[in-house]
Amino acid sequence: MDNILSILVFFPAIAGLLGFVVDKESARSYGITVTAIEFFLSLWLWFSFDMNNAGMQFVELIPLIPDMGISYYLGVDGISLFIILMTTLMTLIGMASMGETKNIKNMIITLLFLEMTMVGVFVALDAIIFYLFWELSLVPMLYIIGAWGGPLRIYASIKFFLYTFTGSLIMLVGMLFVAFLYHDISGVWSFAITDWYALDLPVNYQLWLFAAFFIGFAIKVPMFPFHTWIPYAHGQAPTIGSVILAAVLLKMGTYGFVRFSLPMFPDASVMAITPIAVLSLIMIIYTAMIAYAQKDMKQVIAYSSVSHMGIIMLGLFAMNAEGLSGSVFQMLSHGIVSGALFMLVGMIYERRHTKLLSEFGGLAAVMPKFAIIFGIMLMASVGLPLTFGFVGEFLVLLGFYKVSPMITILAGTSIILGAVYMLRVMKLAFFGPLDKEENKVLKDLNARETWSLIPLVAIVIWLGVYPKPVLQPIDNSVKALLTFMHDKARTDEAKDMIKVAKSTKEAK
Amino acid sequence: MENLVYVALFAPFVGSLFASLFGMSERKMFVGYVASALLATAFAASATLAYNLFTTGEVIHVTMMDWISAGDISIPFGFVIDQISVTMMVVVSFVSTIVHIYAIGYMDHDKSFNRFFSYLSAFVFSMMVLVMSDNFAGLFIGWEGVGVCSWLLVGFWYHKPDQAREDNPSISPSWAANEAFIMNRIADLGMLVGIFIIYWNTGSLQYDEVFAQIPYLSDTILTTAAIALFIGAMGKSAQFPLHTWLTDAMEGPTPVSALIHAATMVTAGVFLVIRANPLFAETPEVSFFIASLGTFVAFYAASMALVERDLKRIIAYSTLSQLGYMFAAAGLGAYWIALFHLAAHAFFKALLFLGGGNVMHAMHDELDLFKMGDLRKKMRGTWIYMTIASIALAGLPPLAGFWSKDAIIETAFNEHTYILWIMLVITAGMTAFYSFRQIFLSFHGEDRHTALGFHPHEMYKFVLVAMSPLAVLAIITGWFMGAYKGFIYQLGEGVQYEMSEHTHHLATYLGLIVIFFAVSGIVIAYLKYARTGEKAWKRNEEVEQGFFYKLLKNQYYVPKFYEEFITKPYAMISEVFWTKIDLKIVDATVDNIAKFFYSTGDKTRAMQTGNLSNYLNWMAFGGVLLLVIAAISAMIG
Repeated sequence: MDNILSILVFFPAIAGLLGFVVDKESARSYGITVTAIEFFLSLWLWFSFDMNNAGMQFVELIPLIPDMGISYYLGVDGISLFIILMTTLMTLIGMASMGETKNIKNMIITLLFLEMTMVGVFVALDAIIFYLFWELSLVPMLYIIGAWGGPLRIYASIKFFLYTFTGSLIMLVGMLFVAFLYHDISGVWSFAITDWYALDLPVNYQLWLFAAFFIGFAIKVPMFPFHTWIPYAHGQAPTIGSVILAAVLLKMGTYGFVRFSLPMFPDASVMAITPIAVLSLIMIIYTAMIAYAQKDMKQVIAYSSVSHMGIIMLGLFAMNAEGLSGSVFQMLSHGIVSGALFMLVGMIYERRHTKLLSEFGGLAAVMPKFAIIFGIMLMASVGLPLTFGFVGEFLVLLGFYKVSPMITILAGTSIILGAVYMLRVMKLAFFGPLDKEENKVLKDLNARETWSLIPLVAIVIWLGVYPKPVLQPIDNSVKALLTFMHDKARTDEAKDMIKVAKSTKEAK
Repeated sequence: MENLVYVALFAPFVGSLFASLFGMSERKMFVGYVASALLATAFAASATLAYNLFTTGEVIHVTMMDWISAGDISIPFGFVIDQISVTMMVVVSFVSTIVHIYAIGYMDHDKSFNRFFSYLSAFVFSMMVLVMSDNFAGLFIGWEGVGVCSWLLVGFWYHKPDQAREDNPSISPSWAANEAFIMNRIADLGMLVGIFIIYWNTGSLQYDEVFAQIPYLSDTILTTAAIALFIGAMGKSAQFPLHTWLTDAMEGPTPVSALIHAATMVTAGVFLVIRANPLFAETPEVSFFIASLGTFVAFYAASMALVERDLKRIIAYSTLSQLGYMFAAAGLGAYWIALFHLAAHAFFKALLFLGGGNVMHAMHDELDLFKMGDLRKKMRGTWIYMTIASIALAGLPPLAGFWSKDAIIETAFNEHTYILWIMLVITAGMTAFYSFRQIFLSFHGEDRHTALGFHPHEMYKFVLVAMSPLAVLAIITGWFMGAYKGFIYQLGEGVQYEMSEHTHHLATYLGLIVIFFAVSGIVIAYLKYARTGEKAWKRNEEVEQGFFYKLLKNQYYVPKFYEEFITKPYAMISEVFWTKIDLKIVDATVDNIAKFFYSTGDKTRAMQTGNLSNYLNWMAFGGVLLLVIAAISAMIG
């Protein structure tokens, strides 16, 4: 399977097209089958991945418009590999757990197209292909929020679309300018990201380009102050929309920083450390406080998502392997954990048709299984050691401590504030007396719900206890990235700041 | 021997998993038996390891597997069995076993019996990880693990509703659980920072590698690392100002209070200071601060216990106070004395708590001492146990507390920190007073409970029998202080501490002073609370309205202060951030930009009149505008 990546990208799309002729009754099982196959394909990708190779693997390169240097160019490294795995897993589980019954066939087809665009973003090594998938991913999500959303769905979906689209356009201008510069220097056109890496840009060019890419990525992450689309999107989206949005779509932003900004503009990245750290701090503290004030359970998770993305952003700019590997690892754990939390909130919403915390209380007595799984995910979310959530958060904070102890201590309040808002949810929803009549008759998780959550619980514990199989390939690629950045950096400040791991130095 | 390490570590874990299999079904007695048996196994393994270490002096070091490695950091799951950790292992597994057996009787009417054992064994597992780890990150795993188990167990009766602070100072079990967790997390941040400092300056988190590098590190680094780690210790061991959670944690079932909030978890902070003694020994300022804070907390907590009416809260205050003693010793450099007091305290305090549990069980969860009195006739065994524990706590010879506490007080004298010494001596008197105030109010004096409709009965026989080893140890532990000294001295110079010649001469007099204070405390308590008939104790409302009484009763208004100045403002600011800033400013700006484009388009639509001369006008206007721009840019450029 030389073209495994192409299969991974287009299999769901082709299956989606075929889905139009599938019978309505069997649409769900069709969708689950397709996403399951897709997931096993991505597992196969992992098993055939060479763990010791830090570079791009499974590369496919087909020139599309040779005159313009645009080619169909795919590849994965340790960083993108696991994001792809998480994407296929969360699509599968999201679909399997889905309680939606309205227009189920359309939903399945939309999801399959969405899966194509998501996988496409993470395997693309050509800027145009990347941009294509990046923008295409907006359409299915627009449709999911707009068609299956709550009362404010039109406003929420348009806001989501226009906001992220505006950002992407500025990023596109940046991309075109990079291509222009490449042509200026080398005399040929190329949109291959790996070619762009070789570009040695003056610092002021780097800064402008960094800013252009930053807008595109920051809105997607979403960074403060560009985050206000997310409460609406989550508030209105159906459960499956929120799961995919939180687990995968947000990671596109942080992935963009790793794939483009850091290796292409190392000097600008180093200069951006302080501003980005300040924005990340605001994300971590300010949104954690907003999460505490929420009355709606889903909004708590939505804002907590922003807060956790702040930690990821901080790690990306730690400029050492500890922080950067931790950050990539945290992308995965946040994907799984927040995805699971959104699923859990969706399950209670289906039962009670409300997400207001004031409507609950004492649920642990009637829904023990639900409470236990929620509790485990809560603990992973607040970063308890031996759960998935701890490893990334610990490494990020550890890594950033080298950059700035003060900022790290402030960012570390995330472990306190996270506990504050999550424990509040636990207390209001699950503890206390069971005093509402409607809640006394609630049914605990059924088999479908339980079995879609158990794999996530297993992953949360497995990768908390033994993160090595995932962390090691990530770490290899991250070390290579840092070495590359260090060698490429022009200014002495940047060279000082970017830390090449000792093990890499010894290997030389 | 390596296998025994894993047995000691994982037996409680297996017990927890086993119990959790039945977590959702109704009470099954065998769950309690199996969990207790596994705990006993862990104790047997720990004891064997201790014996082996005692006879051969061989420190065992095992590495199970890798945990986290990224960049240059590499953290294994590694465990070390040396004199310090083995002491903790034996104490933890021993007290846990007894508490497990006790809980079979105590929790027998609870519908969540199985769930209780699953949590309790999970706690023991976390505690074992905490004490056995050979690196700071492993310690942190256990550190957070015991925090979560404590959260689960304090909030065990989660269904209870919130009450006003005036009616119940701990509000509700779930509230108290959250308070404990969050307050510990605040301290854990300090601990994490300490770990970061250590990693970036030594490149490792393994104890032996870190301690080997201490001579090469600057004072500033050592001091900041020591402060950061001690902040972590302050949370777990509930030192001022992070102490309020401990008394509120008494909302949990009594076996939990005995095991977690008296004997084991709360001593983790002391353990950390002892474990990292090479670091703290190099930072005399921080160590002196620890000793001073410990002394202060010893006194401060004892003062609050003087007026408390709630049986469990009195014991909680005394725990707090004794933790202060341990920190005083550790801060003054007498690490092994701190560790010895930790062990002795674990035995007599667990006994005291379990006795308190018997009283609670008999009195249908009533904890108010003012509603008891004269219980000794109905609960003879419990009375004997609690009296033994109280004598040990008060520090009268020849019971355990005398030897260990007296050594701490003597250390304060030996270090010429006379202010600390005086405070510790006075606190010893207060300790004796409040311990016996509690004994006399509950077991002696006039019978006040019958009139209120209570019909107390003694606890099950097997529970009393299970408690007996603790009673024996509460009596005899002190006699083995010399032997223990020999054992721990094998570890090396770091933990060795000897009184100077001068102190040695005065030792008898110093001891007599302490005994004098303790006996006076007991006598005063007896005269005031234990008598019957004419001179029987009566409530004095006037005293209870006095300033000092109210100050102590309200815990110096510290919880109130936290509520008014931290909790409420935090909620208020969060609300403002959300409604005023995020919605009204950040989001409104975005919407206004969008509206601006929309309305601009809407208005400029008027240009499209379809009238050709209008279009020509606009064209001319545009042409002029471009020319002006070109001219200006030419002038600037």
